[in-house]
Amino acid sequence: MTTMKSADRIIILFSWSGALVLTGALSAILGYVIFKGAGTLDLKLFFGDTAPLDALTLKRQVFDGLFPAILGTLCLVVLSVILAVPLGLATGIYLAEYAGGFAKKVFNLFFDILAGVPSIVVGLFGFALAVFLHRHVSREIGPCLLVSSLALALLVLPYIIRTTQTALEGLPADIRLTALALGATRLQNIRHVLLPRSLSGIMTGVILAVGRCAEDTAVILLTGAVAAAGVPRSLLGHYEALPFYIYYISSQYANPEQLLTGYGAALVLLVICLGLFAVTFVIKRRLSYNALYRA
Amino acid sequence: MSHSPVETTRIRVTDLSFSYRKRAVLRNIHVDFADSTITALVGPSGAGKSTFLTTLNGLWQTIPEARLTGQVLIRLEGAFQDIYADGFSVSRLRRRVGMVFQTPNPLPMSIFRNIAFPLKLAGESRRDVIEPSVEAALRRAYLWEEVKDRLGDNALTLSGGQQQRLCIARALVLEPQVLLLDEPTSSLDETAGRVIEELMVCLKDRLTLLVVSHYLEQVKRIADRVMAFSNGSIERGG
Repeated sequence: MTTMKSADRIIILFSWSGALVLTGALSAILGYVIFKGAGTLDLKLFFGDTAPLDALTLKRQVFDGLFPAILGTLCLVVLSVILAVPLGLATGIYLAEYAGGFAKKVFNLFFDILAGVPSIVVGLFGFALAVFLHRHVSREIGPCLLVSSLALALLVLPYIIRTTQTALEGLPADIRLTALALGATRLQNIRHVLLPRSLSGIMTGVILAVGRCAEDTAVILLTGAVAAAGVPRSLLGHYEALPFYIYYISSQYANPEQLLTGYGAALVLLVICLGLFAVTFVIKRRLSYNALYRA
Repeated sequence: MSHSPVETTRIRVTDLSFSYRKRAVLRNIHVDFADSTITALVGPSGAGKSTFLTTLNGLWQTIPEARLTGQVLIRLEGAFQDIYADGFSVSRLRRRVGMVFQTPNPLPMSIFRNIAFPLKLAGESRRDVIEPSVEAALRRAYLWEEVKDRLGDNALTLSGGQQQRLCIARALVLEPQVLLLDEPTSSLDETAGRVIEELMVCLKDRLTLLVVSHYLEQVKRIADRVMAFSNGSIERGG
């Protein structure tokens, strides 16, 4: 009895410590970034010497502010998620609902390996893809926004596949059989019952994918992000992105003030991620409501 | 004994065997079920009662590594149909052979949409067809008076007994000819269970009902015929 109580106490202590360490680490990171970066937040950080209205209406380029990198990051995240979500969703549905025995084992192994591939390797793959397209499709194509988005989509695909598959496979048998017993086809069952009921899990994967697309530097480093490209004007052009800017400034800064703008950029990236998570959360709620109550 | 199904027969099962992962669950079952009757399937857990129900609406096909042999004929729209013949639509079968499960399973949508859901699955989108059908199904399931003023409410706000009647109404809206009920009262209190029993007795005028039950008193109250399962075979009442 005494041993049990001691074991319980150790487990509770360990759990509390884990939670405290994690919360503490996150608070320290956020606090440090806010402490260092908050002071740099002004219009100059975003637009440099360009008039904000001219920059926002794309009348004049911004060369020494974060505005192009913010737009670049947003474009990158949206494009990557648009490319990855349908493919990831379809693959997750296939694995959970259609694939049997051997095919399932092979695909699961393949996607586990893909999930473990370092992002620099995915970046190299993106670079090789850009070279291939440049040589064999069009001289216009090189490392660019589209190639970066494709590479990032590949990077986050396993998250979406796994969360979709796990969410669908985790549904209890009575939910799986409800619509089938009412004459639904397999596809109707997936469309009307299984997907709406798994939406919460699936959107968790999308949120993870959004976060990963917004923060990954290794992939974009090799596939099209540059330091001073201005706002992205074409899918086949170079672009700026916040993680690249943070990496570039922190390794190449000429004076302490320049380094501080890196912290400012990190703070902006955190706020953008928070905003994207909020948008994804709202979409999740709206989709759940429509799927379940207006079906 | 081999004879062609007679007019009062609704279901004819011939030499039905079922196995799961090579383990026999049902063995050589021969049985007929007549129109407008309630048959209670009784027996210990694992005897094959619930599995037998799923062989009558093809729901066993959702179980991986399951195998079925034998023949099931069901009289649908006046003619006997071999439900496992090539080309016979399993969706059509399940619209005509409804099923209600042990635990009420309303979908997390409004009461109205729950009942209208099977009609929409069947391709019906006309409001003037759906609305009267929903009302008729709710009336047949003794639920209309309790929910008529709150059809837009989430079905999950109903009590357990009401949810089970909603599930029965949802099966009835497709106007099935057979209703399979797998321990429909086991998750309900006695009062709610009694209402479901009355409902089943009332429904048998137009339906053939097969009910899995573990309650002897309930079987006595509602059943016209009792079939006892043991180890995958019909021990009595076949």
